[in-house]
Amino acid sequence: MSARDRIRAENLHAGYGEQEILKAISCSFVPGTFAGIIGPNGSGKTTLLRAFSRVVPSAGVLTLEGKDVRDYTPPELGMALGFVPQDEERPFSYTVMQVVLMSRYVRASRFTSLSPDDYARCRDALKETGTTHLADRSIRTLSGGEWQRVLIARALAQDTPVLLLDEPTSHLDLAHQAEVLSLLRRLAGVGRTVIGVFHDLNLAALYCDRLIMVCDGRIVTDGTPAQVLTAQRIRQVYGAEVVASCHPATGRVFLLPVHAAARPQGTARLNVTVVSGGGSGASLFHFLAGRVFALSAGVLATTDTDYQTATALEIPCIPIPPFSHIPAPALEELGGVLAGADRVVLSAHPVGPGNLPVLLALGEVDPARVVVHLSEGRDFGSYDFVKGIAEAAYRDLVDAGARCTATYEGVLAFLDGDAGGPEGREP
Amino acid sequence: MTRTVPVILGLGVAAVVTVVLCTLTGPAGFGIPSTGPGAADIVGGIRLPRVLAAFFVGGCLAVAGAAMQALFRNPMADPYILGTSSGGALGAALAIVFLGGLYVPVFAWAGAVVAMLIVWSIAGQRGVISVETLLLTGIAVSFFFSAVVSFLVAIAGQNVHQIIFWLMGGFWNASPGDALLAAAILVLAGAALFAVGRDLNALSLGEETAAHLGIDTARVRWTVLGSSTLLVAGAVSIAGSVGFIGLVTPHIVRMLLGPDNRVVIPACVLAGGILLAVSDTLARSFFSDISVGIITAFIGAPFFIWLIYQRGHVA
Repeated sequence: MSARDRIRAENLHAGYGEQEILKAISCSFVPGTFAGIIGPNGSGKTTLLRAFSRVVPSAGVLTLEGKDVRDYTPPELGMALGFVPQDEERPFSYTVMQVVLMSRYVRASRFTSLSPDDYARCRDALKETGTTHLADRSIRTLSGGEWQRVLIARALAQDTPVLLLDEPTSHLDLAHQAEVLSLLRRLAGVGRTVIGVFHDLNLAALYCDRLIMVCDGRIVTDGTPAQVLTAQRIRQVYGAEVVASCHPATGRVFLLPVHAAARPQGTARLNVTVVSGGGSGASLFHFLAGRVFALSAGVLATTDTDYQTATALEIPCIPIPPFSHIPAPALEELGGVLAGADRVVLSAHPVGPGNLPVLLALGEVDPARVVVHLSEGRDFGSYDFVKGIAEAAYRDLVDAGARCTATYEGVLAFLDGDAGGPEGREP
Repeated sequence: MTRTVPVILGLGVAAVVTVVLCTLTGPAGFGIPSTGPGAADIVGGIRLPRVLAAFFVGGCLAVAGAAMQALFRNPMADPYILGTSSGGALGAALAIVFLGGLYVPVFAWAGAVVAMLIVWSIAGQRGVISVETLLLTGIAVSFFFSAVVSFLVAIAGQNVHQIIFWLMGGFWNASPGDALLAAAILVLAGAALFAVGRDLNALSLGEETAAHLGIDTARVRWTVLGSSTLLVAGAVSIAGSVGFIGLVTPHIVRMLLGPDNRVVIPACVLAGGILLAVSDTLARSFFSDISVGIITAFIGAPFFIWLIYQRGHVA
């Protein structure tokens, strides 16, 4: 809480009539913030936004620029705070321009026309939201997404220091979602306070500086996306299983829903070890994670996607530092894991001098317990970066009787017990 | 946007031409009756006030309709929707039955205002008045008052015709004073509504939208309700309940000029005036002076049905 706070709520309660929706909300927002309010359906996100804009009556401290929100006159509030609703009735055929010009009413004299400046500002807002071409269209003919962008344009042209948006991207396609969210980020960058309610957690994490998670009318957590979006909290608040990881392209936290089956009920039938590398095992982990196996993974460098996936799915593996030869203890541990495995799945992966020992260690395993997954259209040679040694090792495994399959179903069939004779495919 | 000025100017010219032509039209045909004593008195003393009264009452109803439709965010709303006309009819019926027809306009006025006040106070019980509550209360009060009027009709005996005429509306007794009263109300309330024209635009997209755009929604709502009461009660006290002008005129105007209330309200003054002056002239000249409410219903009801089928174009 500081003097810079643009909006400050302390012990804020709000609701409709008898029904209290928000309970003891305390939070504050400084200029230049892009904050996202997230939470499950019915948690009070929209009510919080509407309490800020005074359309839902509230009790407790709620100040805007240091002054109690309830002490604002309607025009003062209209100049301080803009609001983008999720949708809005369209009973009359105003043109898009007419609707956007409504943002300037609050600044215009009752008895004069709107000024050329007002028109210019509205044209800018249309341009910023990519709706210039719609200016003369009747609002009743717009699609949901077009209408939503027009509503955003209207709030932009209102030129308020605070911008509140209720799911501003809910009707937008992918390209327009990115466009609108980038625009909102830019607005925060030039000192506006932008607060939005979001359903799409990944989009919110990607664009917001700060996330406030609301549940049952209370703030559960408030912080950076990475602090707020943890798998454990999502499980608590949303009752959903997700994998939270760092997106390699954006560096932002991102969530992946895990299929409900990923947490199998019942006791494992078999110990299965998946030997992979270079990302070759990630989707196989997901494929097998929902089945009734006791899964383990092999030696994985901590920068490897396979490592991240295994960790996220809570599959034990033998981690090693990146870009190094495999330490002897790790190899020993691998030997133990392979010896204890009922079945070993080898997901064909690039082999260089660093990880060659893993492949060679597989030579010690009974080939009848091994299945090799080799994707359609690939051959072992394409994975060899050690002048034929790896290719030979792969071939030896198959020649010695290991099953070779191009599909995950083939892997599953093998694991499901028909470990009979080798069905070998010549790569 | 660009055709606003020419259309309004055109409506202005049409209004003047309409008043002149309607004044010159009578059961005896078109033109100034040249025969008989007092022919000039008929035109100047009887027809002109009647045409002007019809014109201004038409303007009152159309403007009230436009404002109500914007306030209620419903292009199908009617200026009578808050029970105003049934209140006026009840006031008139009471005066006819119990006072032998004295002070009927005063009672009609009072009835219309009382009906509005009852609706407001019932709808406002919980502090904030919602548009939906107001509408539903208006309908309920309307039905109740109509039932009382029907009861009065049943016991009225001799005076039944007078009540019926009041219910259907007409300008048989229109005086220069009536025309002046309607004009004064129209200027006063019309100016108040024009002044909140922009606010009405925002309000017609929703109360919260308007509040978020910095509009004092409570003040605008009271301005609209107060002005409409004045307009409709005035119209009812002069002409009884004439239907459809307040419903249909704003539609026609919005089709021509779009829904901006800063344009719709002045245009409705002219268009509503033209429609009712022409309707009354038709009733007076070609249908042996039947109630003008019959003419407006004959034209208005089919037009309204056509509008419903044209929902896509309903402005």
